[in-house]
Amino acid sequence: MKWLLLASIALYLFGSFRKAGFIAALLTELVYLGIRGAELGRLPLIGPQDTLAFFSASIGLMALPFLYARQLRYASFSWGAGCMAALFALLALPFPTLNMPLPPVLRTYWFELHVALAFFAYALFGVGAFLGGMFLRKGERTLLDLQYKAALVGYSFFSASMVAGGIWGYYAWGTYWLWTPKELWTSILWLFYSLYLHLRLKGSQWERAVAWGGIIGFAVALFTYLGVSMLMRSSHSF
Amino acid sequence: MLKNLYNRLASLDLGIWLMAGVIVLLAAGSFSGGGAESSSINDMPLFAWLRETPLALSWWLWFTIALLLFLAVNTVLCSIESLRGKYGRARFLTLIAPQVMHAGFLLIVLAHLFSAYGGLKGVMQVNEGETIGFPDGTGVVVGNISGEVGQMGMMTDYSADVRSGTVVQTISPNHPFFYKGFGVYLKEVQLVPYRAALVEIHREPGAGLALAGALLFTVGNVVLLYVRRGR
Repeated sequence: MKWLLLASIALYLFGSFRKAGFIAALLTELVYLGIRGAELGRLPLIGPQDTLAFFSASIGLMALPFLYARQLRYASFSWGAGCMAALFALLALPFPTLNMPLPPVLRTYWFELHVALAFFAYALFGVGAFLGGMFLRKGERTLLDLQYKAALVGYSFFSASMVAGGIWGYYAWGTYWLWTPKELWTSILWLFYSLYLHLRLKGSQWERAVAWGGIIGFAVALFTYLGVSMLMRSSHSF
Repeated sequence: MLKNLYNRLASLDLGIWLMAGVIVLLAAGSFSGGGAESSSINDMPLFAWLRETPLALSWWLWFTIALLLFLAVNTVLCSIESLRGKYGRARFLTLIAPQVMHAGFLLIVLAHLFSAYGGLKGVMQVNEGETIGFPDGTGVVVGNISGEVGQMGMMTDYSADVRSGTVVQTISPNHPFFYKGFGVYLKEVQLVPYRAALVEIHREPGAGLALAGALLFTVGNVVLLYVRRGR
């Protein structure tokens, strides 16, 4: 079944400069995740292989509306978002699949909602970072407006993910908050995008700083997702 | 002079600097022993931990709390200034949505303060048939401890019954029992050589307020997305 993931990577890399290629890659990846979910009887959200594949599909899914944005007429966006999705799908490949049953504490919709929303948010932050890079190269204001839209919707998903995580934490561990590296970095990411949204209010002379903010924000998101899991001891580790 | 102080406290610049400061301090905390997973910070109310922990480990949290205090004041004043400045000039929903989000944020900060002061966590092993006592002299009896072991030898499911008077409820992971302001959580069970449960007792006085804040924030957020959908 891994061939489906490989096929989607190839389609993202070599076909996503056209919308049809991008959509074909995304559909192939969603079929892969659907089969994997049907095998497990739940959303595939445990272990680096499943989460990286889910993150890759989230990037494809969240970039899709931007492909149809009237203001965005560059094929480079479609190909760039495709390459980003392909990169994370490629990173998933070396890891083994984890097919063990979920620990009882993870068997709740709050967990699935918490993780899925976080990945949608990370994906939108990635799309925003790419649009920020395009703005810094081309200087078109509409690219920055699109970055803002991606960041605002991503921030909303991320806030909802934190709420779902807090409710789950209260029912699972008796507290909606724990002082662990993952929770600290989750707060850092949330505060960073709060800062980004406020920085935008400072006016047009801050446009380049805002664009850089969207790029740095994605780096913070990647550290929150991958860095904390790999470098720090946390209950959220893979 | 007072006017000058008010303007500084209500400025967007101060809010941005304070957010940046909290970000840096939390990042520092995540790499220090104080914020590590193994730290005792999660085993006692936060203010008790701050009292007992050397400054070398807790400095980042003291500064974070101080900056959050200023950020809370700044948030209130910025909201007031925004409402005063835009009242009558902006659509009601456009004006109110960010302020509702601010209110949600403030409630969540307040919730953390309540939990930091009055939270409680206790861990105990309870054998089947034993009673967990509570401060008012009452208790709940733990019984019917059961579990299922999967093919790989891991516990795949477990539960226990708790009884208080005539009320009987089954507790299991994600399904605690709430009793007189406390939550009774089943963490693990042991079936041989005798049946026993590892139980945690929690009191989280800020939980209700945190949920109210989260809901308020979410409502404001949804309204903000709605009013800015075309921009």
